Amino acid sequence: MSDQHKTSILILDDEPIVSKRLKPSLEKQGYEVETFTVSSEALKRTKERSFDIVITDLKMEGLNGMDFFTEVKATSPRTEVIVITGFATMETAKESFQKGVFDFLAKPFKISEITAVINKAELKIKQS
Amino acid sequence: MKKIMKNILALLPSNRAKTSAVPFPVLFGKFQDILTINNSVLETIATVNDKLGGNYIFDRHYIETTCQTITDQVLKLINDLDTIAPNKYLALHDSFRRISAEIEKDLAGRPYCHFGPFTLAYKAISHHAAEEVGGKNASLAEIANFLDLTIPDGFAVTGAAFHALLAKNDLRQKIDRIVASWKRGKVSVEDAAQKIQQLILDSKLPGKLEKDLSRSLAQLNDNKTNKPLLLAIRSSAWGEDGERSFAGQYESFLNVPAAELAKAYRQVVASAYSETALMYRQKIGFPEEEVTMAVACQVMIDAVASGVLYTLDPQHGHGGSMLLSATWGLGAPVVSGRASGDRFTVARSKPYAVKEMQLVRKKTALTSIAGGGTALQPLPTDRQTQASLGNEQIKQIAATGMLIEKYFKKPQDIEFAIDRQGKLIVLQARPLNIDQTDAPKAPELAKLLSQYPVLFRDQGDIAQAGVATGKVYMFSDDSRLRDVPAGAILVARFASPLLAKVMAKVSAILTDIGSPTGHLATIAREFRVPCIVNTGNATELLQPEQEITVDAEANIVYQGLVNELCLYELTEDAIEESTEYKLLRRVLKNIAPLNLLDPAEKSFTPAACSTLHDITRFVHEKAVEELIDRNYYNHHDPKTSSGKLRLNIPIDLVLIDIDGGLRKGSRKGEVLPDAILSVPMLAFLEGLTHPQAWDNEPMSVDMGSFMSSLTRTFSTELASPKYVGQNLAVISKEYTNISLRLGYHFTMIDSYVTDNINDNYAYFRFFGGVTDETRRSRRAEFIGEVLARHDFRVEVHGDLVVARIKKMDKEGMLQRLQVLGWLVGFTRQLDVKMLSDQHIHHYIDKFNQLMEANI
Repeated sequence: MSDQHKTSILILDDEPIVSKRLKPSLEKQGYEVETFTVSSEALKRTKERSFDIVITDLKMEGLNGMDFFTEVKATSPRTEVIVITGFATMETAKESFQKGVFDFLAKPFKISEITAVINKAELKIKQS
Repeated sequence: MKKIMKNILALLPSNRAKTSAVPFPVLFGKFQDILTINNSVLETIATVNDKLGGNYIFDRHYIETTCQTITDQVLKLINDLDTIAPNKYLALHDSFRRISAEIEKDLAGRPYCHFGPFTLAYKAISHHAAEEVGGKNASLAEIANFLDLTIPDGFAVTGAAFHALLAKNDLRQKIDRIVASWKRGKVSVEDAAQKIQQLILDSKLPGKLEKDLSRSLAQLNDNKTNKPLLLAIRSSAWGEDGERSFAGQYESFLNVPAAELAKAYRQVVASAYSETALMYRQKIGFPEEEVTMAVACQVMIDAVASGVLYTLDPQHGHGGSMLLSATWGLGAPVVSGRASGDRFTVARSKPYAVKEMQLVRKKTALTSIAGGGTALQPLPTDRQTQASLGNEQIKQIAATGMLIEKYFKKPQDIEFAIDRQGKLIVLQARPLNIDQTDAPKAPELAKLLSQYPVLFRDQGDIAQAGVATGKVYMFSDDSRLRDVPAGAILVARFASPLLAKVMAKVSAILTDIGSPTGHLATIAREFRVPCIVNTGNATELLQPEQEITVDAEANIVYQGLVNELCLYELTEDAIEESTEYKLLRRVLKNIAPLNLLDPAEKSFTPAACSTLHDITRFVHEKAVEELIDRNYYNHHDPKTSSGKLRLNIPIDLVLIDIDGGLRKGSRKGEVLPDAILSVPMLAFLEGLTHPQAWDNEPMSVDMGSFMSSLTRTFSTELASPKYVGQNLAVISKEYTNISLRLGYHFTMIDSYVTDNINDNYAYFRFFGGVTDETRRSRRAEFIGEVLARHDFRVEVHGDLVVARIKKMDKEGMLQRLQVLGWLVGFTRQLDVKMLSDQHIHHYIDKFNQLMEANI
């Protein structure tokens, strides 16, 4: 696997534990991973470079997840967004899907569950 | 369920005068609420427990909301019981307040160590006790209690003792003031440290602490000959050996006469406020109010040689070697770095070959003096250049080191001594801080791992995440647990709870069959042993003695020893060390354990409830009792009828009819089966009373477990139901709610069956038993499998089984209720018979044959 073909993933969650757990596990599987706990910083990074996949929490201080990924989608429509949230409701799920997220996971989730979603998102990216 | 309530409410005369007695419909409504919440609490506890496997990503928000949910539900349970039995169990509120306050304090991040006993013998220190007794004491006790290694005899003076000492002498505020004026620049750090230390040295020990110290000393003396007791007194601060390393900042005293324990204790405690400690805490931002100094008090080892082992060479962290330093006599000079000892570089795998040896001239040895204290003694010339450890000793130390590293899942810094008898004694073990620059990085690993042959992947369920390498040990029916070699990867057909006994010793566990929520999985989590269950055919795919690597993160099993992966795991921060994980485990201590089991025990009281699970259990038991008490023994409500069911099987069942469940004219007292009109109850009884459901083959069990699992809930002579278990069914024409306590296990069935398919449901819950946990979980597995076969949605957590079915037509529902009846009859003593895992399948087959023949 050379770096050129690595799928790039940005993770944004205000609780550091989420990135701390996900990053090594995804890197071990060969993904290129950047992590953020502050949404404005993550947004700044997405203006500098695009990511194949963005994984984001919804409820955060400052810019919330919904606004964050809406902006990401506006600048980089090809980026697939996966929402992870501890406040999962039908409404937020529905709204997220309407705004074009690829999938929606309620926290807590298993590492294998998010890996499966990432694999599906990758497949979609490759097909398009 | 709403419909039933409506029916019940319709029973209420609108002009009914208020009486002191609660009307039955209200009573029953609350009773049903209690059952629903009770089930929900138990299920929540089980799912929270599963989060500790390292397999889930959860955050603080999850912990907070879950605690909130459970406490809200338990409070509701208590209030509902209050409605059923006004003012009878008020003490439950006190227990609830006490427990929920503890949970809140945990969530607020308080140090855990303010409460509990002042001294604890090493043998009495339980798993995960670092917060009570400090890191040093805790790991030493675990090494002795779970790995059977030799440590010095001794006891911990706990964190609670430290806080009591401060409180007794009003030191908290005094120390805070001194620290504050230092931080404001008013006094120098030297002055601050000196003042605080003097306060501690001059302090008076609390009376209870003095007593506890002399009692613990007496117990140490009991184990010894008449020789005067000499001690090693060491610091064991909270957080000392954990994430942050305070190593070497605190005082230790060697060869202290027992009479001087109190003085040495104060000195060690005072060292928590040395200049270096104060400055270090300021530097890393460790809050002063969290300082907790527990102390280790150990019998002094008269060492011939001593030293330190790093299980991973910190300078050359490529994973191949460990570093061992040793000298003659006591190890302090080598440990502190004041003198250099002999150095050995040793391979990390068997046969632990010595790769490099660097001997130094050792002119002196630190030695214990007869009356107390230590002194450097000159060594005879021939000893000076002789290696302080022999080859066999080095191998033994290395093997011990790897065992400890595997147990704690981190490279270790281990202090040891060889005593006069040549016995290896572990004095201390703590995580080793290593330079991570040499360790492999996750992105490089991806490339590396792709070069190793994969034996199988994504087979089975991860019960505990983690990585391990080792040789396969194939566990069969003929295997004996004591033959399982340390460090082996245990491969077995079944996730038998029996295997839990070797958990501390093995590197990983793989099974063909089993559930990630079973008992074995729980124990694997307790010891953080990587564990994959339900792989289907691991026993066929692997060979005995085969060297493999188990990656129970990615769910892959590699051929060969992928040492890079192991090294990566060793240097990574384990999830179990994260704040969130520790917090979850801590709050669960006040939620999950069940201590109240037997309602016949005197200790079955509101005040004895020490966890939310206890309260839940207490409320459930009392709710059933109240219902029977009020409506059978003291018949209150003329709108309901009740009676004891006369059956040809030994089961005492009180029926309470709330609406058309019994034929008119049934009198209080006895109910004949043909008086029952309740549709679901009839179906259940049809299964339950079938002769073959009760006619299992004769069993040979010891009289004890036989007696305690007798199904009859005792004769009517034992007039008060308070002393026995309760079997109760509340019925209406279309509804039945059955609470059974057969022996010591609890079955609950709740079902509603009509012609309207959308209203139909059945809920089944099963919990507990009389025998050991192993057999209980086997029975739970049996029940789970049988019900799944009959289309129930089943969850098994340890010995809790929950099964649901809904929206099935009437005929289908009644058939399932019959199955439940059969099952209750069939399983009443099954745990006694579940002698091996094969029995599970034997009985599943047998039950299925019976079902095919009869239903």
